[in-house]
Amino acid sequence: MRRLFLGLLIFVSGITFFSCGNSSTEQTVDSSQLTRKGQDEVEQVVEAFILAEDSSTIEIPEGFFELNTQLILDNKKSVRIKGAGMDKTVLSFRNLKSGGEGVKLVGNNITVEDLTIEDAPGDGIKAQHTDGITFRRINVTWTHGDKSKNGTYAIYPVQCKNVLIDECIASHSKDAGIYVGQSENIVVKNSLAFGNVAGIEIENSDNAEVFGNTARDNSGGILVFNLPGLPKSDGKGTKIYDNDIINNNHENFATPVGEGPNGNTVTMIPPGSGVVLLAAKEVEIFNNRIHNNKTTGVAIASYQITGFPTDAPNWSPYTTKVFVHGNSYQRKSLSMPDLTRELGQLVSIHNAHGPGKTQDIIYDGIWDKALSETIDSNPMQICIQEKGIEELHFTRFYLMEGADHIDSFKDYELFQNCTVDVRTDISGIASR
Amino acid sequence: MGKMNWKVGASSALLAGVLLLVACQKEGVKSVAGSTPLAEENANGIFPYRRLSTYGFFQGELRLLNPSDRILPYEPASSLFTDYALKSRFVLIPEGQKAQISASNMEFPVGSMLIKNFYYPVDFRQPEGNRRIIETRLLIREQSGWQAYPYLWNEAQTEAVLKVVGADIEVNFINDSGTDQVINYIVPNKNQCKSCHNQSEVLMPIGVKIQHLNNELDYGDTKENQLTHWTSLGFLEGFKGAEFYPSVVNYEDETQALRDRAMAYLDVNCAHCHSADGPASTSGLFLNFDESDPLKIGINKTPVAAGKGAGSFIFDIVPGKPDESILTHRMKSTEVGVAMPELGRTTVHEEGVELIRKWILSLK
Repeated sequence: MRRLFLGLLIFVSGITFFSCGNSSTEQTVDSSQLTRKGQDEVEQVVEAFILAEDSSTIEIPEGFFELNTQLILDNKKSVRIKGAGMDKTVLSFRNLKSGGEGVKLVGNNITVEDLTIEDAPGDGIKAQHTDGITFRRINVTWTHGDKSKNGTYAIYPVQCKNVLIDECIASHSKDAGIYVGQSENIVVKNSLAFGNVAGIEIENSDNAEVFGNTARDNSGGILVFNLPGLPKSDGKGTKIYDNDIINNNHENFATPVGEGPNGNTVTMIPPGSGVVLLAAKEVEIFNNRIHNNKTTGVAIASYQITGFPTDAPNWSPYTTKVFVHGNSYQRKSLSMPDLTRELGQLVSIHNAHGPGKTQDIIYDGIWDKALSETIDSNPMQICIQEKGIEELHFTRFYLMEGADHIDSFKDYELFQNCTVDVRTDISGIASR
Repeated sequence: MGKMNWKVGASSALLAGVLLLVACQKEGVKSVAGSTPLAEENANGIFPYRRLSTYGFFQGELRLLNPSDRILPYEPASSLFTDYALKSRFVLIPEGQKAQISASNMEFPVGSMLIKNFYYPVDFRQPEGNRRIIETRLLIREQSGWQAYPYLWNEAQTEAVLKVVGADIEVNFINDSGTDQVINYIVPNKNQCKSCHNQSEVLMPIGVKIQHLNNELDYGDTKENQLTHWTSLGFLEGFKGAEFYPSVVNYEDETQALRDRAMAYLDVNCAHCHSADGPASTSGLFLNFDESDPLKIGINKTPVAAGKGAGSFIFDIVPGKPDESILTHRMKSTEVGVAMPELGRTTVHEEGVELIRKWILSLK
């Protein structure tokens, strides 16, 4: 009864005080100062992409280019696309009337560097079916004050191999700023993701390292997901280390604020999530600064928590083999978990440390009953070794019998006596 | 033309200045086809030609699109929706050579060409009357594979010129209910061709496929299965007869089963991308006419990278509930980033939406 009353109290005050949420329209580059290029010069850039030859460089000079059509590089080898600097060369797709993305790249050994891409109606820059794709010092963003107009992914390699994202900035996307999907051999480093719903996301991909990045002011900082029903049906092997995952308390604007989630899983992320794992396999999270994420620093979840169908070939809904260690956690004293999303409400009302208390690590406690009757043997191999874990807010939830039987525990001891050896090998990429 | 004169006549000097600026933008599109004098061109066999007339596809006035003996008209069973534009299509097989049919493929010899003209009758109630041809797209089978070339027609309708960067054209017409329509028609840039004409990153024809040609066409002097007709003219070999190959229906044919019509519509409008070999294979949503896995067709399937395209909906197709389905939501939209297909239309295909709605309504 008391729990219920407290829960209601939190709920009501939460709606009152926290429904306004956090939103950012911070811009890295002020493109208003650049010279607007004329139509002939813009057409030259379009033609340069169309007529590009293998082993060549497309140089885009300083200036603000308003594109009415997509820039597409079709199946070329060893092409470098180079601007005069992310603060000097701006490709604006605000007037794009057709197509999904602003820039599309297909080929082998393609590099894009030193430019800004603004206001694509769909995705900013997409690379597909490419072996060897490097994004370096590019800034992809949306400048609409009203973020409901923004596009989907800022930097979007998909179905690629040997992906390098280095010193890039991705901001204000309605889904993930830096999104790598259905790919293998991936490095995301030294980059900044802010103002997005998801800062950095690795989805259905193998062999990825995400390090040296700052993910701040997103709804969720860094995500590792595996979704069902895709041509690359599952993914494993991700290391997330030495990142600043800070203040990811941005409202979730993937659907209009006030509306609930739709079928895109990113719409379910509760603001205040530092690292979120969903159906992830073999993930090591270490040496990160995970500070001031108001709902939870780390969330370890299996796909069942979405409520979506879990029947798909060559894919498992369970998150398994996770090793969390050596991270620094901080919580703001007056912060409260999100109440706009079901997962946020779960944390807020049912966590093991008291209603309305921000968590550092949560585990949804969903396990494969075919492997073990109880969770006591840690069948999913969730391994947490944090110094001072006694001071941290760790919650394991019990959700296996539905919403009427939710329970929560502080039993981190069950998950302390193991390690996981996550193997990654990025030697081929890091040197590019 | 009448509208433009009215506007200029009625506006102040300042407004006229602004309109001139706007008109100059359009002039920029037309100048390549119109005011810059075009060099004479020889049909030297090195493609692409700058001018459509150089190919010698048509006899008499170019705009009448009267096929010469070298080219043969064809029609796919179901047609792609392109903002209500009408199309006339032709195929050219080089002298003395033949296309080949295997079990599931058509192979074309080097030098083959596919010609697709897009036009709007001035009045859709008289489709054979005055018309404006907007563009002609060529697919040429070169040594290294198929290449796509877009040609833009001038307003005088005397020539079409290669325009790799594409164009935006305002098109006016009267639709078949007698209402004035304006469409901001978009001619794709050359590399956008491959956004759809793409099988595993190889540029491929879409309409010229066995299942779309395995049907009867009225050639005027004869009515015959198209693949049989091609064979009898010496253009094709390996065709064993209509019954040995799949055949897609015309989705507009209301005597056909609803499911066949819906799958035919989705195949020709979507499956070039939404298939295992297509650029949208990433989605896991496969809309080939012969896809049988309900999850792949989108039934109770959550989206992957739809972004705002998902609207407030959860599944691609909710059986029995077309207005809660992402598929129909995206077909009904004209907002870039939401609308599907991504390329090729700026308006909603009302009849197509109605067909898919009916089909989803019928699902259990």
